Amino acid sequence: MDSGPLANIWMPGGEELAKLAPLWGLVGTIVAILLAALVIGRNWRVAGGVAMAGALATAWLAWQGLSRIDAGWGGMAPEGAAPMLVVDQFSNFFMLLLAVFLAAVTWLWFMGQDADLPEREARRNDATEFFVLVVGSAFGMALMVSTTNLLMIILAVEAASLPSYGLAGFRKKNKLAAEASLKYVLFGAVTSAIMIYGASLLYGHYHTLDLAQIGRQISVQGPSVLMGVALFAFMVGVAFKVSAVPFHFWCPDVFEGASIEVTTWLSVVSKAAGLGLMLRIIAVVASELANPELLQYVAMAIAIMAALTCTWGNFSALWQTNMKRLLAFSSIAHAGYMLMAVAIIWQPSADGASGALSPAHPAFSAIVAYLCVYLLMNLAAFSCIAFVYWSTGSESIDAFNGLIRRNPLMAIMMIIALFSLVGLPPMGGFLAKWWLLAALWDAKLIWLIFIAVFNTVISLYYYARIAVAMVFRDDDRPPIRAPIAGQLIVAACGIAIVLTGTLWAGKLKEFSDHRSRDLYAVTRKAPTNSIADSSAAAISFDVPDQVKGGDGKID
Amino acid sequence: MEHILSWLIFLPLIGAVLVLAAPAQMARSITWVFTFGVFLLSCALFGPFLDGRAWDGGYGTMQFEYAIPWIDVGGFHIRYHVGLDGLSFPLIILTTLITWLAAWASWNFEHWNVNRGPKGYFALFLLLETGVLGTFAALDFFLFYIFWEVMLLPMYFLIGVWGGPRKEYAAIKFFIYTLAGSVLMLVALLAMYYTSADAVAGPGTFGLIEYVTNPAIHEMFNSETTTFLSWKFGPAMFVMLFIAFMIKVPVFPFHTWLPDAHVEAPTPISMILAGILLKLGAYGFFRVCYPIFPEAASQLAFYVALLGVINIIYGAFCCLAQTDFKRLVAYSSISHMGYVVLGAAIMTTTGFQGAMFQVLAHGISSPMCFFLVGVIYDRAHHRDLNRFGGLWLEMPRYGSLATLGFFASLGLPGLCGFIGEIWVLLGTWSAPFTWAKPMAVISAFGVVLTAAYILWMIQRVYLGKRKEEYAGFPDADARETAILIPMALLAIFMGILPKYTFDLMNGTIDRVYEIMEPFTQVAFGG
Repeated sequence: MDSGPLANIWMPGGEELAKLAPLWGLVGTIVAILLAALVIGRNWRVAGGVAMAGALATAWLAWQGLSRIDAGWGGMAPEGAAPMLVVDQFSNFFMLLLAVFLAAVTWLWFMGQDADLPEREARRNDATEFFVLVVGSAFGMALMVSTTNLLMIILAVEAASLPSYGLAGFRKKNKLAAEASLKYVLFGAVTSAIMIYGASLLYGHYHTLDLAQIGRQISVQGPSVLMGVALFAFMVGVAFKVSAVPFHFWCPDVFEGASIEVTTWLSVVSKAAGLGLMLRIIAVVASELANPELLQYVAMAIAIMAALTCTWGNFSALWQTNMKRLLAFSSIAHAGYMLMAVAIIWQPSADGASGALSPAHPAFSAIVAYLCVYLLMNLAAFSCIAFVYWSTGSESIDAFNGLIRRNPLMAIMMIIALFSLVGLPPMGGFLAKWWLLAALWDAKLIWLIFIAVFNTVISLYYYARIAVAMVFRDDDRPPIRAPIAGQLIVAACGIAIVLTGTLWAGKLKEFSDHRSRDLYAVTRKAPTNSIADSSAAAISFDVPDQVKGGDGKID
Repeated sequence: MEHILSWLIFLPLIGAVLVLAAPAQMARSITWVFTFGVFLLSCALFGPFLDGRAWDGGYGTMQFEYAIPWIDVGGFHIRYHVGLDGLSFPLIILTTLITWLAAWASWNFEHWNVNRGPKGYFALFLLLETGVLGTFAALDFFLFYIFWEVMLLPMYFLIGVWGGPRKEYAAIKFFIYTLAGSVLMLVALLAMYYTSADAVAGPGTFGLIEYVTNPAIHEMFNSETTTFLSWKFGPAMFVMLFIAFMIKVPVFPFHTWLPDAHVEAPTPISMILAGILLKLGAYGFFRVCYPIFPEAASQLAFYVALLGVINIIYGAFCCLAQTDFKRLVAYSSISHMGYVVLGAAIMTTTGFQGAMFQVLAHGISSPMCFFLVGVIYDRAHHRDLNRFGGLWLEMPRYGSLATLGFFASLGLPGLCGFIGEIWVLLGTWSAPFTWAKPMAVISAFGVVLTAAYILWMIQRVYLGKRKEEYAGFPDADARETAILIPMALLAIFMGILPKYTFDLMNGTIDRVYEIMEPFTQVAFGG
């Protein structure tokens, strides 16, 4: 009977399918968009409206999931087999983030329909395809954070990537877009190939597709060169999604070439999905390890990669003049900050005595908090770029000259978003960075702290350059018109950024603590094909003080 | 009553919102009313500091104290904790007074702003005041850091938008220098939090007071065996924090942002920059560096004192070389703040008193000097020292007040500058270091240099023959006189009756000295 986890043919029940509600929401949206085109005809308003409704419904379902799911669930596999899909706080949080952002990007897309652009007709005609691709990539990303199975991971990464390639080249008559798409495809294909190669090595070596079992196997068999090569190759695909240096080359070109909605979309969720997947892999593998120090080298590799990503991104951004390209490098830098938190999960925890991983490692929570704020900051910044582009036709930094006079509200919100990206109090970006630094301190990676703060100073220069253009320079350009609904979204983001840095700071932390708490603690049915004695890999699930705390004592 | 300090801090913020909401022509009136209101409110806090109630109890006895949990999650206990003692209270008064006068100095806004509405300027101006007051009042290090950074953005835009020809360069230089310093403070913040958690074997604290008064934490911070990246913890933290604060003061070699920022900033912003923002660095020494890390402070005393002496002498020599009026005043700030660093470095009661007094004296005299420069710049539209001459004859009232202001800055006996400098010099002379007396002598030489560049400047600008170019310049008008008079009176009052100023802070300085004393005794062999 042990001919592999795919041998069993098994049908899930209704209860199990219901747990995947947000995923159904995304699939349903795709179907609805296609059906609407068939039934009502190709109408951009209908396509966008259905996508918006689907995104909101998915967000609602994910929110329901957050309040309903306590312990987490790993399933979609026959009794006793390793789970194909995982549903827990973390996956639901991620799908919530995804759906909310999907709604925001759809909103932005609607705003863009009023703009007098050469490609307006094409945009309207191809609305159906556009939204199928966007929601399709969203579905892939949702799968990325909901699985611990090698095969599912590869499928999910491909499901997320293929529509993205199409999206990058969606401006069909634009040379930059064509170049972007081609680069994206080539780079993606190569990294996917390496990733699949790594997965096949892992499967060949450990005879299982389940990450948890791979973790157990590593505990039993000890580390080997093959393990290192396989894990590294497997991680390449993930690093590509995160755009970690040296797998970042696609990012600036794609961000510059793609239309602004697509850039906005990819800048947040593509990276978030990659990080989510990375966290999932690390959490599952590491939680099964008897001695996580085995993976110290991998952790160090990620730490170095994080430092490089961050520094490279920031230095490259210094000289950019195209706003989308500049924010592309900024997003690489921010991916670097978040990777720093990934790096410390394999470090022994602060108490260090047992070397065991704490199930609520502060790094998880730091990344969740960072992602929440990052979404707001990027949405605000890209929306401003979008409105400027739609009204001037230029994405250059000069197009922002005198924005404080041409559209004061937008300029102020942009300034808030930019300095929040720097990580300046009292904006949410600072708090996000603070939790990250605190997590780094917990892991005693003080050199990474210094790299992070050094990068903060570097990054100030180029974010301030945008502020300089907006506020200090004024060469009598005409005002920027932006629809009220568009201003609303930018203003909401700006206010939320300030609130997450001040009054909501504690709430955000509480939220992210809760979302990431049971990342390890996915209740899994004991797999029958376990080779190792599972008790050998017992992990103590002692809740550390950080989680217990909160007695609110003030002295 | 327990919220009075919070009202003081956030009243300017409310004003900023009002300025943005109200019509543009009301912006300056709203700002004037709010800054004056804040000044009056701060005067209402004098009570406990005058009748001595404030000095009962040890270090950390705070007046108008208020604390609530702010971020209380995930093991962190970050509080909104504010309060005043003898270190912060005089600076709060200084802040509210100088900000009010600077708001008044902004009255002729439409004359010197290029093509910008006043709303942004006055809103940022008020936001800046909130940041400064918050920093002085904060007793939680995290909160202190937040307020510290809140000041950066308004200042950046105030210099960058409403400044002179090289404003962009000056603004970003100011910003990057200060941010570079504050990220070091951020690392120290993390390190101190987690080390305090180790010390009490429980949740850590951000309390600036607890770091001193909790014996376990204080001992751990100053212990030889506590380490940070294989350095000793105390000196490592002291150096990081000292760099963060010395950039703000500014201390050589991180002083180069200051002349640029001052010269490019509009007059009222220069007043605030010199009168208040530099003091934040000094306040950081007194509140954070010295009470929390006395052990490291006594070990590094020589280097700190050396930096102070370099500041005094180097700043004074720079002044002698200037031809730009405003640049001269800017470098004189560097020179004068050197006394503050020197006074802190020697870790005696006299030194600390002198340093604190010098902070306040310079907080009165330097805004006055900058305003005096602004008054003449408004009329002559240049600041070239060699082109001026005979201004006293054209503008007798202005000339008299200017002479008073610059003499206060010079340190003429009977005016405020003298007391601070002489206290620091006396403290240095009597300090138990072998190197103290030579340093006192060298610093005393700085007094001579100061006299030289100020007198030479007065001679070139105010004395001499009447010049055709400046004929018919109107004398200082009622508004300008009204702004100068409070500062002039305070300069005289602090110079003749320094006791009343010392009384506002000595109670706390004695407590700080009690904390440092055991460490200085060990370091100097009794």
